[in-house]
Amino acid sequence: MKFWESGIEKTIETGGAWLLGAVWLLPVVFAFWSAFHPAEFSTSFDLFAPLTTENFVRAWSYAPFPRYLLNTFVLVTLILAAQFVLCTLAAYGFARFEFFGKNVVFALVLLQLMIMPEVLLVENYRTISNLGLLDTIPAIGLPYMASAFGIFLLRQAFKTIPNELVEAAQVEGVSSIGILWKVYVPLARSTYIAYGLVSVSYHWNNFLWPLVITSSVNSRPLTVGLAIFGAPESGVDWSIITAATVMTMAPLLVAFILFQRQFVQSFMHSGIK
Amino acid sequence: MSTILLKDVCKSWGRVQALSQINFECEDGKILVLLGPSGCGKSTTLRLIAGLELPTSGKIEIGGMDVSNLPPVKRKISMVFQNYALFPHLSVAENILFGLKARRVPKIDQKKRLKNAADLLGLTDLLERRPAQLSGGQRQRVALGRSIVAQVSVCLMDEPLSNLDAKLRQEMRQEIRTLQQRLKMTMIYVTHDQVEAMTIADKIILMKDGGIEQHGTPEELYNRPATAFTGSFIGNPPMNILTLDTQITERFSALLPSRESLGSLSMGIRPENIEISADSGIEAQIEAIEYLGADTLIVCRSGEQAITLTVKGKATLSPGDPLNLMWKPEHIHLFDTKSGKRIPDFPGEIRP
Repeated sequence: MKFWESGIEKTIETGGAWLLGAVWLLPVVFAFWSAFHPAEFSTSFDLFAPLTTENFVRAWSYAPFPRYLLNTFVLVTLILAAQFVLCTLAAYGFARFEFFGKNVVFALVLLQLMIMPEVLLVENYRTISNLGLLDTIPAIGLPYMASAFGIFLLRQAFKTIPNELVEAAQVEGVSSIGILWKVYVPLARSTYIAYGLVSVSYHWNNFLWPLVITSSVNSRPLTVGLAIFGAPESGVDWSIITAATVMTMAPLLVAFILFQRQFVQSFMHSGIK
Repeated sequence: MSTILLKDVCKSWGRVQALSQINFECEDGKILVLLGPSGCGKSTTLRLIAGLELPTSGKIEIGGMDVSNLPPVKRKISMVFQNYALFPHLSVAENILFGLKARRVPKIDQKKRLKNAADLLGLTDLLERRPAQLSGGQRQRVALGRSIVAQVSVCLMDEPLSNLDAKLRQEMRQEIRTLQQRLKMTMIYVTHDQVEAMTIADKIILMKDGGIEQHGTPEELYNRPATAFTGSFIGNPPMNILTLDTQITERFSALLPSRESLGSLSMGIRPENIEISADSGIEAQIEAIEYLGADTLIVCRSGEQAITLTVKGKATLSPGDPLNLMWKPEHIHLFDTKSGKRIPDFPGEIRP
């Protein structure tokens, strides 16, 4: 009786997993299908339809995708660099030092975790406008640079480093900043990689805030560029739109396939310890 | 010179008094062992000397210089930690040179010192490995190497061998001793293992509850323990601390002081000094026998108390057998039961 039951459960589980995977994969499969086939075959799954790269060539020329790509790349790099510096310093302070009001400040940092940035859209716009930074790449990145998630993650990583290592470094005459650079940062390397992947993928795909704050090709990232490109006014040509979409997501997809283990680990580690 | 001197040192955290009135001196080029059970304050004392904590009051001097408020690097000390504190992301060579690089010692010097230390400790073939690829004993040697290249005359060790197995511990003990004598380092060594303390120390400080119980050579601590605690801590198996019941009082009445004060005394006798006598003696019954190879441990019960003794070789006795125990007057230690302090100069005490 038991053996039979476990068989049924296993089948349902496996079947359900496959089904869920298929449902998730379907839009991506359609995008790739439609991008590599001419317009007439984009909505029919004729297995012997001719393959073509013409869609990519046309999409590339219809909108300044090279510029968008550059913008996105600069944006993501800028945000990541700023986050690494700011979050490392903040996390070090929280992990290893005692100062007046420490708990209050940390509570404020955690507060940021609970607030969705979209809620602050109007206020942020006002601030950026006052700073005179409208429609620039730094403006897209500024609200995200002091990331509470990053501070929290790095603080946890720093706390796991045994105190003995810090004391050994102190006895050897290393300064506080030296200890941060020579002991903490190298030992938290996997956390940095994991956080980097999360940050890059989030900001690569970020849409609403960049849409609000940018108004020209100079600073527009890929996501906004693609949306404008696919706007219904110019007619819905799925093969070109999907070609543009594939171009947009290709770099991230490649990166994910290469780093998928670290990617999954980053989500697991952020909860542990 | 690198004499270490502690004067009236106290350390407390809030209301918890970890150390009270610690006074001692460690002579130049000697090994001083801080011995004691967990929580007695020995590691705290070491950390105060290292500069990883600051004393609440009192003075610490190293080599005649007042270092009480100086950071560790200015005290010219090196330290070996219980868990070795090796940086996992650096190779053995980089671990050893870590401090030298931080203090910007010239590269030629670095190379020379590294070679010296590696030769001394047998690490030459392991220099490119990571700590994770080393055994416990090898890691300990790397930690020692880091301490040697600093070329300072004071070395502080915090239970460096407690993570190693017994055989390795014995080997490393001898190595540390040889190294210390060769390099003429002043060494303060913290341990809870009295065997380590007895074999390695020039002088031992036995600590208890934040204070010093006794400060002396291993022989002094073994033969003339100042308190019952010292007596029972040093020596394996530990000294028997017996209350003076009727049997014992009768047997040794000639040796004990006057009748009235007897209730407040305890008698200490080491298991190796107790003999089995054929006829007369303290009557006891065997409870357990432990055969150790060279000796046999016999646990007996006499009246209300347990007495442990050791005999050479294998004992042809079994649990439940009756025994008569005897010991010589010169092996008796008398202690005040309440304070634990040794009673000096009682009639019958024969000075060795």
